[in-house]
Amino acid sequence: MRNTLSILCVTLAFGLALYFGGIAAGPYWQLVALNLAMWIALTQSWSLFSGLTGYVSLGHVVAYGLGAYTMVILFREWPVWVLIPIGGAVAGLFALIVALPVLRVRGPYFVILTFGLAELVKFVLLAVETALGQSSRLMFGAPGAQTLLAWMVALAALATLLRHFVGVSVFGRGLIAIREDETAAETIGIPISRYKALAFALSAVIPGMVGAVMALRSTYFEVLQVFSPTISFTIVTMAIIGGAGDARGPVLGALFLVALSEILRGVSPQLYLIFLGISLIGFVLFAPNGLTGLLRRKTS
Amino acid sequence: MKRRHLLGLAATAAMTLAALPAAAADPVRIGYTMARTGLFAAAAPSQEQAYTLWQEQVNARGGLNVAGEMRPVEFVSYDDESDPAKSAQLYERLITSDNVDLLIAPWGTPHHLNLAGVAETYGFPVVGNTAASVAIREVAPGNIWFPTSAIPDRIGPELAAMLSEAGVGSVSIIANVLPFGQENLGFLTPALEAAGIEIRMSENYPPDISDMTPLITQIKAAGADAVIALTYPADAFLYAGQARELGVEAKLQFMLIGPTIDAFHKAFGPAADGIVTLAHWSPEQAAWPRAKPFFDAYVARWGQAPDYLDSALAYMSLEILEQAVAKAGLDRDALREAIATGTFDTINGEVRFDGVQNAVTPTAFVQRQGDKMQLVWPAAIATAPLTMR
Repeated sequence: MRNTLSILCVTLAFGLALYFGGIAAGPYWQLVALNLAMWIALTQSWSLFSGLTGYVSLGHVVAYGLGAYTMVILFREWPVWVLIPIGGAVAGLFALIVALPVLRVRGPYFVILTFGLAELVKFVLLAVETALGQSSRLMFGAPGAQTLLAWMVALAALATLLRHFVGVSVFGRGLIAIREDETAAETIGIPISRYKALAFALSAVIPGMVGAVMALRSTYFEVLQVFSPTISFTIVTMAIIGGAGDARGPVLGALFLVALSEILRGVSPQLYLIFLGISLIGFVLFAPNGLTGLLRRKTS
Repeated sequence: MKRRHLLGLAATAAMTLAALPAAAADPVRIGYTMARTGLFAAAAPSQEQAYTLWQEQVNARGGLNVAGEMRPVEFVSYDDESDPAKSAQLYERLITSDNVDLLIAPWGTPHHLNLAGVAETYGFPVVGNTAASVAIREVAPGNIWFPTSAIPDRIGPELAAMLSEAGVGSVSIIANVLPFGQENLGFLTPALEAAGIEIRMSENYPPDISDMTPLITQIKAAGADAVIALTYPADAFLYAGQARELGVEAKLQFMLIGPTIDAFHKAFGPAADGIVTLAHWSPEQAAWPRAKPFFDAYVARWGQAPDYLDSALAYMSLEILEQAVAKAGLDRDALREAIATGTFDTINGEVRFDGVQNAVTPTAFVQRQGDKMQLVWPAAIATAPLTMR
């Protein structure tokens, strides 16, 4: 109970600090805060499924892209606040539908399959847009950056709490059991197919909503951009650097990468990518549990 | 001796002080982002090199004329990693954190259209350049302008008219599925049908295509008079190379984007001869006295020819901005008014805006003829007649 209360307080405090800090620091930092909140929300959602089950997904951009696509095509029809949850629902529903065939494979096959699925969705939508004669879409009149920041911080907080509470629930322990030994988990009565499908769908809902909000950030929408595999790669990188063991990892991973990118942007963009590569190799070799693993080691 | 020494010192100090006002004029800080890494990194240098050339030229002649005051030009730029959303964010940084005086454009349509939103939010006037889409007309006029005349709904009918006049009776079309290719296909198809030109085949291909042999085999089997390849730079090289290997024998080959790049000419040499492509500028046009000096200066500075589309547009946008700043200074409202209502003398002739679009420069096509890129359409600005195989 005390633990629950402290998690709620820390998340709330961090969220408020991110929101008000971003606003106080000026328009540019407001956007940096928006980005940070976005990556926290995405990486927490990824960690909810991949961190707990050990099924490494390289296809999370699909949820993000579907949310964004939903927002863009319905932007002029319905109010934005309705479209954000709809974006999440579309992404969650899609994940639930594909979960059955996709979750039949494990290990490297699952990684490749999710990546392939993301590319498939991207090119199918590209073909649909081409057939509709809609090679790109423009959106003017979206809410301002401050409103988007508020929504995104709320989504990041929601994703963090969801990741934490699922992690400590019976459902979460079932997912961890699947990660440790799927056959053993099934033997002791864990409904593995249902659990995996549910976690997969749940981990897509918030990225769908994040995509819907981020679509409002850009005036211009093009399928190839919102379904860019770089988004999936970045999520996995943040999870590796932060550590996917608990809800702190994605926050630390996102903070590390966003800060690194901001510090090195002015100096040399190429240096950022080199640093990123070196840190990834360093973390995988010397700190496989990421920054949270290092913290835990230090405190113990 | 001592006195003479002191006098010398005093003279030096006086000379330094006299020289100070000119040297100490605050620089005009101009911000932009460029796709230095990522998907568009190969295409962007032709734009940034034109920027650098202009900056060096302006500083060499004493600075930028800001409503009568000469001030040096300083660039503040970032790599946008070919990401339009990142580019928009960095433009906000340029405006709100770096406090730049002026903005110039990033590379490509998606980046421009994202920048349009930022320009509107902050009321910051920007002269665009390398953006070409019918979507630009959805942008509310007032903060961003597009000097290009390469808009798909004009390219389609003009291309059909040129082919019709050249006696082309049939065509084969292949098109990249990316937005510019598809927009062009959408306007070209009805225009060709209206002109009575038979479309023997029309196929799309993905942007990351690595082998065009099946498509080119189909083109050869169709045996049309002309081939229209609605390419992007990367697949333009692939198409031209494989079409040469497989011996496409059409009377005329049109490629959308690619052949204006210097590297294309260097890669294919005489094999690129006769290829027609999209561009509305050529140094061969004597009616534009600024055109040839720009070409020569670019070649002298960079050791290669400018891109007839992107480098020319980038330089034009700076000429427009320079002339508007000379008249209106840096006040955003005055500058907006000057750009919206002014007539500008550029390397591409006179430019004037109607809404967000260039109201003067016609949609045009160039053809590689020997070492030169000649404007072959429309007749009003043509520098040489269209040649067919």
